[in-house]
Amino acid sequence: MLKTILARNYINIHGDGSKVILFVHGYGCDQHMWRFITPYFKDDYKIVLIDLVGSGKSDEKAYDFDKYGSLEGYADDILEICEVLDLKDVIFVGHSVSAIIGLLTALKRPSLFKKLIMIGPSPRYINDDEYFGGFSQEDIDELLETLDANFLGWSSAMAPVIMGNADRPELAEELEHSFCQNNPEIARHFAKVTFLGDNRSDLDKLRTETLIIQSKSDAIASLKIGQYVHAHIAESKLVVLDSTGHCPHLSAPDQTIEAMKHYLK
Amino acid sequence: MSHTIDYKELCSIFPSGYFCSQPDGTIIDVNQKFLELISYTREEVVYKKKFTDLLSKGGEIYFETVYSSILKLSGKVEEINFDFIKKNGTKIPVLINSVEVKDIEGHHVLTYTSVFNISQRKRYEQELLIAKRKAKNLSDDLMQANKVLISNSELIIKQKLQLELNNHLEHKNRQLSSFAHIASHNLRAPVSNLISLNDFYNESSDLEDKAMLFTKIEIVIGHLNETLNELIDSVKIQEDINITHEPTLFKTVFNKTLEILEVQLLDSKALVTSNFSEAPKIEYPKLYLESIMLNLLSNSIRYRSLDRIPKIHFYTEINSNEITLIATDNGLGINLKKHGHRLFGLGNTFHRHPDSKGVGLYMIKTQIDVLGGCIAVESEVDKGTTFKIILKKVSDDK
Repeated sequence: MLKTILARNYINIHGDGSKVILFVHGYGCDQHMWRFITPYFKDDYKIVLIDLVGSGKSDEKAYDFDKYGSLEGYADDILEICEVLDLKDVIFVGHSVSAIIGLLTALKRPSLFKKLIMIGPSPRYINDDEYFGGFSQEDIDELLETLDANFLGWSSAMAPVIMGNADRPELAEELEHSFCQNNPEIARHFAKVTFLGDNRSDLDKLRTETLIIQSKSDAIASLKIGQYVHAHIAESKLVVLDSTGHCPHLSAPDQTIEAMKHYLK
Repeated sequence: MSHTIDYKELCSIFPSGYFCSQPDGTIIDVNQKFLELISYTREEVVYKKKFTDLLSKGGEIYFETVYSSILKLSGKVEEINFDFIKKNGTKIPVLINSVEVKDIEGHHVLTYTSVFNISQRKRYEQELLIAKRKAKNLSDDLMQANKVLISNSELIIKQKLQLELNNHLEHKNRQLSSFAHIASHNLRAPVSNLISLNDFYNESSDLEDKAMLFTKIEIVIGHLNETLNELIDSVKIQEDINITHEPTLFKTVFNKTLEILEVQLLDSKALVTSNFSEAPKIEYPKLYLESIMLNLLSNSIRYRSLDRIPKIHFYTEINSNEITLIATDNGLGINLKKHGHRLFGLGNTFHRHPDSKGVGLYMIKTQIDVLGGCIAVESEVDKGTTFKIILKKVSDDK
């Protein structure tokens, strides 16, 4: 069971501390995206890195289109991971869609997380009456088109490498040095689940202490959305970074670390 | 001769688009080719536009979630396909490579991006993509159709089995019906005979008469028992499909038959001959061969003509793929025009003979049929009868 789950989510654990911090990447990438952040936590924390099923080096065979047809499927995985690793009082750090996955996990088991850190969260990407999500259905269709266009470069020769049974080391090496390479069919499905979901009503139910880290300028989850999330989570703090882009942990790692450390003090 | 390259000029006239942007995406330098691609003037772009201003919103999501992440993590990103939006609002598909430029302290200060127009090959790519998706849909459809076919063929096999079972049941039914028929006809006479004898026995007071009547009753009971046993045997044959074939000598079986019918042969003074030299043996269930010979010989004896010395001859013939057993006599003969069609039915008799039970030929035919053989008869009234029994057919045609 433990072995299966370790492989399924390509779980990596390091760090010298006793407190547990679990990092979960967002849509489009994998656990590599935390590489500028984790060095600053390894002295005080046990750092747990995972790849969501279907992303990075997770076990692609475990991708069940029904289970991962909603974010609940991922939340169940997080619960399972915490159970088999016996993680308690976890600091959960989730980027983008994984901020919502963390929210759903916390609702399933409120005692599991000590604190929740959301980086660039958005409970709903599509505009809806008064609500500003930033996108229309057509925008998401365009995203899917862009995904399709870039899948042509994603050779199916990569599939066996990701599945871990290729006898072509040069491909494995190529993959080793490439980031955020995901199976096209899965990436497409994950994009739909991520960008067409609506978890606004879940925000109000959350009682876990939460930090929202928000880029000043973020095309995916705008400041307005960060403020919305902050307004709907009871025990939340909002920190706006002087940064650009949806991934402040990549574009402004120092500010991100500072905000996290300050909150966790 | 050395030639000094003016890099600024090279950049400007370079055959692919190029631009330089700040970490927040603000474009700070462009070359002529790039401006041509997006139909803007230099003044409209430099320090006025960000990279993402040239993208659709869907493209922007891809830029933020995938392109930027890869660029930040590995310092470069290659072969990313975006659609740039030109000044007039139309889109142009491009392939871009980007590289991060860092200062001495490792901070990201600039991004260089080269841009290739791929309009021509994009059309082909689109066709490929559509074809690929169609092929996938088709293969999904085929897989679905295949599933249906498999389940259909399973159904057909089941139906076939059901049909075979039905045929078997129908056959059994016919057999039972024949059995009921012969039971009602052939058992009624001796039973009513028994009842009459019993009445006489009860009414009579003379002990001698009683003893005589009892002997008669015993005889009738014997006949009844014999008839019943034959009926039971005839039904049993049908169930013995998996009987073993063993090498059997015709001569051995024939001699045994002669012994069994010794009394009858003596009574009839029949002249019995045989010649099995052409096909002396056969792979056949011994029990069946015994039964066939016994029935044929006893028939010939039973239906002999009293006007002449009975002559009975048994012999075998062989041709390429079958062995035929032939039994011929000079007996009463059968009117085949009249009885031919029901010659081998159960309970059919063709002579007003006291021993006729209508079982023998039915049994023979059943035994032969079970093993895939066939039986033919030639006969002329008051001349004799010849039975030809093809015991083994190698080929399947009947």
